Order: sequence, then structure tokens, then C-alpha cells
Amino acid sequence: MVKKLLVLVGQAIPFWFLVFQSPIIRAQTPADFGKEWRFAQYLSDKDAFPEAVYVLEQLEPLIQTAAQKDSLLYLRGWLAYTTKELTVAHQKLLLVSVTSPFYARSRYFGAYCLAFAGNRDSARVVMETLPIPNSTFRELRALQLAGVALLQRRYEDFDQQRNAFSYTSYALVNEQKRFNKYDSTLRAEKHRSPFVAGLYSAILPGLGKVYAGKPKQGIAAFLPILSLGLLTYEGLRKDGPRSARFIGFGSLFTLFYVGNIWGSILSVKAKRNEFKREYDNKILFDMHIPVRSLLN
Amino acid sequence: MTTRFCLICTFLCVACSTNGQLLPVNQLYLADSLAGAGRFFEAGIAYERVLFNQPDSAAQLVAVAGKIGCLKQQSRFAAAVQYINSEVTNSYSDSTLLALSHDQITCAYLAGQFENSLSLLERLPYLHPDRPTETPVMSVVRILSLNELQRWPEAAEAYRKLLAHNQIDTLSTPYRQLPRLKSEQKAIALSTFIPGGGQFYAGKPGEAILSILVESAGLYFGITNFLAGYYLSAWGVGAATFGSFHSGGIRRAEVLVKQYNARQAQQFNAKVKSELLKQVGQ
Repeated sequence: MVKKLLVLVGQAIPFWFLVFQSPIIRAQTPADFGKEWRFAQYLSDKDAFPEAVYVLEQLEPLIQTAAQKDSLLYLRGWLAYTTKELTVAHQKLLLVSVTSPFYARSRYFGAYCLAFAGNRDSARVVMETLPIPNSTFRELRALQLAGVALLQRRYEDFDQQRNAFSYTSYALVNEQKRFNKYDSTLRAEKHRSPFVAGLYSAILPGLGKVYAGKPKQGIAAFLPILSLGLLTYEGLRKDGPRSARFIGFGSLFTLFYVGNIWGSILSVKAKRNEFKREYDNKILFDMHIPVRSLLN
Repeated sequence: MTTRFCLICTFLCVACSTNGQLLPVNQLYLADSLAGAGRFFEAGIAYERVLFNQPDSAAQLVAVAGKIGCLKQQSRFAAAVQYINSEVTNSYSDSTLLALSHDQITCAYLAGQFENSLSLLERLPYLHPDRPTETPVMSVVRILSLNELQRWPEAAEAYRKLLAHNQIDTLSTPYRQLPRLKSEQKAIALSTFIPGGGQFYAGKPGEAILSILVESAGLYFGITNFLAGYYLSAWGVGAATFGSFHSGGIRRAEVLVKQYNARQAQQFNAKVKSELLKQVGQ
């Protein structure tokens, strides 16, 4: 009887061993959150970002404490920031709680990602509550807020934030000076009217584009319209107003003439957008550098 | 039976005493199982886990090799080149380092980094002066990389050496007849002076005829209008049509010659590749 029992137990043990101790099964339920998190960070340090994200996704069901949740949110957000998934980055980073050791870093980078993603109002609200452990960070926060003020062209807010600049911190001084230059340039930007551009092009084809700040396009528009105008004139002079030559070239001339007026109106908007994009990129770049220098 | 029972119990005790953590050998087993099941992404992570736990050098090497294999299986050759770069340390033996370098060179070629694969090949004799570095596979990679860069005389020399090394008849080399590439400058010059000439030269008679017809139409319109006293039309339509299609034709001839040359080079390289694989496979 005892022998039979031993045989049964002996036969059953390998089965249960396979079920519970199989390396594959054991590996799918890693027990140590901290170790897995460090492993994900190790992968991130080796630029294996998709692998690190995969490890973190597997880690989510294991969260037991608020600290673990913060660590996971921080690293997931950081990976998203590194791989330029800025929406995911700010969503994750800004959820890190104040008790986390990653809080300051998460807030600064999360706020920057918000600003970069175009959510300027939300970025300003987050930046107003950024942690300031010392005077350098006070200036860094002011710089971030000044950057958002410039991005939103809120010059009074910029003046207010500029008061906090001391121009003494090595990590901030260049960006602070450049922000002052951007402020001057943006304030001095001429607000060209699309209506005036259209009017100029109606008077002299291409002049509206020159007014909009695109002189080469203006010349390029003027020459074909001039040629078509001359061809129309020749058709009228030689063959009369009912001739196919006059009607054909006249129609083409009208089409190009009206099209050029419409193009001039659009070119004012295009030039304005180009200018805006150029300075927005410069401002965002200068907001980013000190955050990287002071918090990396 | 009692012995068996005791052995199983001992085994279970050891497994439980690891506190839920896998031993490196088990981690390697897991990684190999995943790779064997074709789950190369997960297997790559499992191999990284082995390395993360800082195993002994033997397990480390197996994990590195496994990870490289997984990257290759996923066709992430550029990532494999970078990975090998980061993993090559002096802790490995010279023969291991050489094997890793060979892997890296192959991956560089497969990633389309032909210059990089050649420069890595050039480095080998200096890094491993005591060993023969140019294996037949490396010679093949060298020839194929040189081919892709259209450095055919050097490729021919490497091909000849490889055949001599393998004691194969070197007279049947495909490099005896190199592809005849056409000159872009000649195409430009032809199109400048003879409308459609460049397109004919590039082997596109249809485009050449079309170019001749359009340019002739512009010229005809210009001349007839000029003779009829329509000077502005002659200039604004006839000359403008002729001029714009003429300069466009010149640029088109250049593009066509480039396309022709690329096609010729591709065909020749494909022919050499199949010939090379046949020769090496023998």
C-alpha cells in the first residue's frame, strides 16, 4: 500500500514540477518588481527601447504600491520621450506623484513635452506648479514659463517672467539672452495684411508677393503674366477682339492674373506661418537645452 | 522508487530556494526555447535578461550570440551592427572577438552599410594580426560590397583571389565583361545640340521622338508666327515652348542615363552574386 502510494506520488511530482517550475512559466510571472524595473532601465540604457517598453508592459499587473506605479509611469514616460512619442510621454510623466523621487524630473520633462506637442495652455498651468528646490530651478521654471509666454506671444507674461532672470547661471544664461532677442524680434514683426498684398498684386502682378516677403516668387509670377499680357495685346492689335488668339491668350492672362492675386493673399499667411514656425522651433529648442542640462 | 522520490524532492528544494528567480542556465534555456519557437523579439529580451544578471563569461557569450541571432532573424541588421559594437569587449578571447567581428561585417552588408562593412574588413588584420581574418564568407562579403559600390576592378581582384584560394578555374570570371555604363555628360551634350539625342543615347527612342516632336512644334510655331509678324507670339509661345522643352529634355536625358546605369549595375551585381554563390557552394 505504502509502495503504491510512493509510486503515485513519484509519478505526480514531475507533473506538478513541470506545471509550476517550468522556466517558461516562471519567467512569465517575474516576482521582483524592482529587478524587472531595473532590467527595463538597463534595456533603455542600451537603446533597446521597444524591448524596454515590452518589459514595462509585462510589469503593469505586478504593481502593488504607489511608489511602484510612479516608477513605472516615469520610466514609460521617459522611454516615450526618448522615442519622441510626446503625447504618451506627457501623459505618463505628469501622472507621477509628488512623493516619487522622479517627481521633479517627470514634471519638467512632462511640461516640456506638453508645450512641444502644442498644448501651450496646459503646459503653462503645469509649469506654474513646477517644483523649485533651489534658486537655479526658480530661474529654470521662469525660463520655461517665459518660453511658453513667447510661444503664445503673451509679451506681458514674458516681461513678468524675465524679471526672475539673473543671467548668472551657466546652464541658463545663453538661453535667457536668446529669449530676450526672440522677444525683440517677435515684437518687431510686421503684421502684413493679406488684403494689401492682394491689392498690390492687382496693381502690379507679383508686387503682393514682394510685399509678403517673397521677392523671388514675385518676379517669377510677374514674368509669365507680363508675357501673357503682351500676347493678348498682340492678338487684340493684330486680329481684333473676336479673334481666337485674343480670346485664348486673354483667358489665360485673366486666369493667371486672378490666380496671382489669390496667391499673394495666401503668401502673406504662408510667410507668417513660416516665421511663426521658425521662432517656435528656436524657443522650444532653448527651453529644452537647460532642462536636459540640469535634470539629466 | 525511494531514491527517485528523494531526488525529485531535492531538485524541488533547490528550485524553490532560488526565491522565484531563474538560474542563468534556466534563463538561457528559456531564451533558447523562445527562439526555437520563432518568438525572436521575446527571445532577444530573454537573452538580455541573462546578460543583465551578469553571468559567467561562457553564458554571457551564449547570450550575446543568441541576441545577435534574434536581431538577425528579425532583419534588424543595423541594430545588430550597433549591438555587436557595444558588446565587443576585451573580456572575450581573440577567436571569439574575431567571430563577433565576422558577424558584424555580415550584418553591416545586410543592412546596406557597404562602406562600413569594407572598413570593418580592413580593420581585421590590425586587430587580429596572429590569425587569418579573411575567411571565404568574408571574401564574399568584400566582393559583394565592392560590387554594390561599383568598385569593380577591386572586386575582380578579390574574386580572383577567392577562386585561387578555393582552387577553382579563374578564367570563368564574370568580371571579364564589366557592365558598359553610359556617360551622363555625353547625354547632356547630345541633348543640348541634337534634340532627343540624349534620350536615344540612354536607350529610350520613344521619349526621344516625343521630345523631337514637341521641340519641333515649338520651333515651327515660333518661326511661322515670326514670319507672319506675330513677334510676341513667336517669342512668348514658340521660343518659350522650344526653350523649356529643350532644357527639360537635357535634364531628362541625364536622369535616363542614371537610371540605365543603375539597372546595368544591378543586373551585373546580381549575376556576380549568383555566380559567386555557385562557386563558393561547390
